[in-house]
Amino acid sequence: MEYAIETIGLTKVFSDWWGRAKVYAVDDLNLQIRPNEVFGLLGPNGSGKTTTIKMLLGLLHPTKGHALILGGDGTDPKISKRVGFLPEESYLYRFLNARETLDFYGRLFGLNAETRRMRIEALLEMVGLKAVASRPVGTYSKGMARRIGLAQALINDPDLLILDEPTTGLDPIGTRQIKDLIEKLAERGKTVLLCSHLLADVEDVCDRIAILYGGKVQAHGQVKELLQKTNKRQIITDAISETAVDRIRRVLEEEHAECEISSPMERLETFFINTVVEAQRQATPTSGAVSTTQIGDFLAAGANKDSILDKLVSAPVSEKPSAEPIRTERPQPREAVTPEPNKDLLRKLATPSLSNGTAGAAPVQTERVETVPETAVKKEQIKKSLLDELTGKKTPDGSTEKPSAEQKEDGGHA
Amino acid sequence: MHRVWAVATNTIRQALRMKAAAVFILLLLVLLPVLSFTATGDGTLKGRLQTFVSYGLSLTSLLLSLLTIIVAIYSITSDIEHHQIYTVVTKPIRRYELILGKFLGVVVLDIALLTLFAVIIYGGVTLMPRFIKASDEELVQIDNEFYTARASLVPPQIDVREQVEQLYRRLETNDELDLLYPNYSRPDIIKQLTNRLRLEKRASTAGQPLIWEFENVRPTDPNRQSLFIRFKYDVSVTPEDEQVYGDWRIGDLRGLKPGGPEVNTPIYQTTRRDPVRKFREIEVPANAVAKDGYLAVGFMNPPGLNQTTVMFPLEDGLEVLYKADSFMGNYVRGTLLILCRLVFLACLGVMAASFLSFPVAILFCLVIFTTGSASGFIIDSFGYMSEGVSKVYLYTIQAVIQLLPQFDKYNPTQFLVSARLIPWTVIGKVVLTMVCVQAALLLILALIIFSFRELAKVVV
Repeated sequence: MEYAIETIGLTKVFSDWWGRAKVYAVDDLNLQIRPNEVFGLLGPNGSGKTTTIKMLLGLLHPTKGHALILGGDGTDPKISKRVGFLPEESYLYRFLNARETLDFYGRLFGLNAETRRMRIEALLEMVGLKAVASRPVGTYSKGMARRIGLAQALINDPDLLILDEPTTGLDPIGTRQIKDLIEKLAERGKTVLLCSHLLADVEDVCDRIAILYGGKVQAHGQVKELLQKTNKRQIITDAISETAVDRIRRVLEEEHAECEISSPMERLETFFINTVVEAQRQATPTSGAVSTTQIGDFLAAGANKDSILDKLVSAPVSEKPSAEPIRTERPQPREAVTPEPNKDLLRKLATPSLSNGTAGAAPVQTERVETVPETAVKKEQIKKSLLDELTGKKTPDGSTEKPSAEQKEDGGHA
Repeated sequence: MHRVWAVATNTIRQALRMKAAAVFILLLLVLLPVLSFTATGDGTLKGRLQTFVSYGLSLTSLLLSLLTIIVAIYSITSDIEHHQIYTVVTKPIRRYELILGKFLGVVVLDIALLTLFAVIIYGGVTLMPRFIKASDEELVQIDNEFYTARASLVPPQIDVREQVEQLYRRLETNDELDLLYPNYSRPDIIKQLTNRLRLEKRASTAGQPLIWEFENVRPTDPNRQSLFIRFKYDVSVTPEDEQVYGDWRIGDLRGLKPGGPEVNTPIYQTTRRDPVRKFREIEVPANAVAKDGYLAVGFMNPPGLNQTTVMFPLEDGLEVLYKADSFMGNYVRGTLLILCRLVFLACLGVMAASFLSFPVAILFCLVIFTTGSASGFIIDSFGYMSEGVSKVYLYTIQAVIQLLPQFDKYNPTQFLVSARLIPWTVIGKVVLTMVCVQAALLLILALIIFSFRELAKVVV
């Protein structure tokens, strides 16, 4: 099996002026990232994450060992044609505006003018910078620059996406979007290497992770395996009465199990999105980036029918590793319940004019989840709602009509 | 190619939106029109035109040279320093394509700006006579001595080696060497003697004629054009009024020799009084040239009128000029010479930027640029020095000097000011040495260095 990324005994030693070895930035690193995997490379600052990526891309020469991307050398144009890269900071030409920036990178890929134009518009729409696209990139805030950086990494519809700290400087909605995008891309058969020290991000989207320290892998494996506490169970219920709680407590005492009962907290992320939706509903003017959920639209909508859409739709989902960890959704109960808040919220972010009275309602979690940690539950909800959104199951304003093929695919996947 | 072009256009954009470039361009746009009014030269119309074309082109050439160096270096070093290179080289572009793109961008920018400013200067030069009052005489003069491209014929060096040898041996046997040239080495003495003998051949005591013969003189239209004998007197004793008389005969002088062929072209004769150590020109109709392209210039120090020996300095004492091309053709070739220089500097800048940081690269290029602008002086001084130094030193230094460009030698203004033809052979030579060899070597070096270097810095 050919790995999407493979490093064999990869070592990078930084020497001083006299050639004496000073620091082992990366030390005998052996990584194997399978195609169609979302892989998280974690580690504290200076643990060798970025150095590894730079060696993969040919920006640094390994002292020893090999770094293979898509089975070849990262500097080979045939390989780099299929790679998207977002460096640790969006290093952009300050004198170009957003549109010119994307056009420049599109030309480096040899895309023709028509394809470039369509992709640029779709990407600008997706990252929510259409309104400020003619401003020089040098005047952008960090988060906005990050969004353009992400757009340039996607202009070639890459098979392998290498993201170095993609969410730094982004607001929570932007972060959420990037995470959704990663999942979306993974679903379409792409491979993603996510390099971060923001653990929440990695936990949310990655199938497998490796933790680096001192240039060596300290731990690696599937997120589920690494995190699941098999000796614990968590039950989440509706707001039940005190007597019911007492009864449950008694049952558990018979099992000689300790238990802890509390009301679940709303996640800050959800709360934040709530607040912004409210503000957008009141049409508060902003000079910054506009948040949208157009990620799926770019990849699936009519703009790039010939290339991106076809590729994405035809991407064989069955090839996805069966090892996929926490995507054990149970669709049946969901269909019966009222729309979940997250779904609502994100839909509203996309169409701010749409007012919905239930937007601010407290979340009611009616899903039955067993053997899955609490965080995973939330992740699943958000993800599912987005998937619905993206694949067009719920088309809020009818503008995002999707081909039926995708619906089938999605259903089969679940 | 489209990738190279993408990088090139990006480089041009960067240069145009960079304030430094804007300053240079603005400076030229303001200075050139101002120059056309303020450049007065010696007050005559010809002087004005000469000053304007010389200052204008020199200024354009200097500022564009600096701009080329800065843009070529900045566009690469800033990409590395500010890490934009990370997002560029990870795209399907080879590193050599990136460098070629940068180079191409700078050269295209140079061509565009050089064309713009050359057209402005040309416009100034052609329009100036309309706005400045000048006598008809002056108008004729500028037509003949400025708005033209004159080929220049210099009398060939006379071979005096044998006479020098004889003289040296005579001095040696008479033990006069130490007396005349104390502490001189043999080659130095030979050099001195050679110059002395050559000058003797170009010196005329009272009543002594000097004859220079030229072959292959081909004016474009012999019946309507003029020949110009451009000369400078030197004297052994300076007369009080610093004026010297001269008796000139110009034409096919072969017929004057006993048994010479019959001559059917006119021979022009003039006796005139001219200041010493100043360039003067004698105008003669071009039909003085014989059908086979032969022309002779005879000079005689008229007996009784001068109290001194009259000499014509070895380097620039005498030359024959005749119209060989239009001013415009010559001007275009002059601009090409500047372009060659800019191409060289672009390669130099790219090469320096491929491994040096911005300030160091700028410094490096400026050193090369100034050395190239004074190459004549440097080559001469090494020429003098080489006598005393060891062979190894001589060869290494000489090799390095050969690699240096010679901007001063191929400076177009010196041609245009004296309305001298810039022959295509000179252009060819410059293209061959400065562009095809020196610049190409630098570019190849840049490609190699850049392809193998690490573009990221070590961050741990």
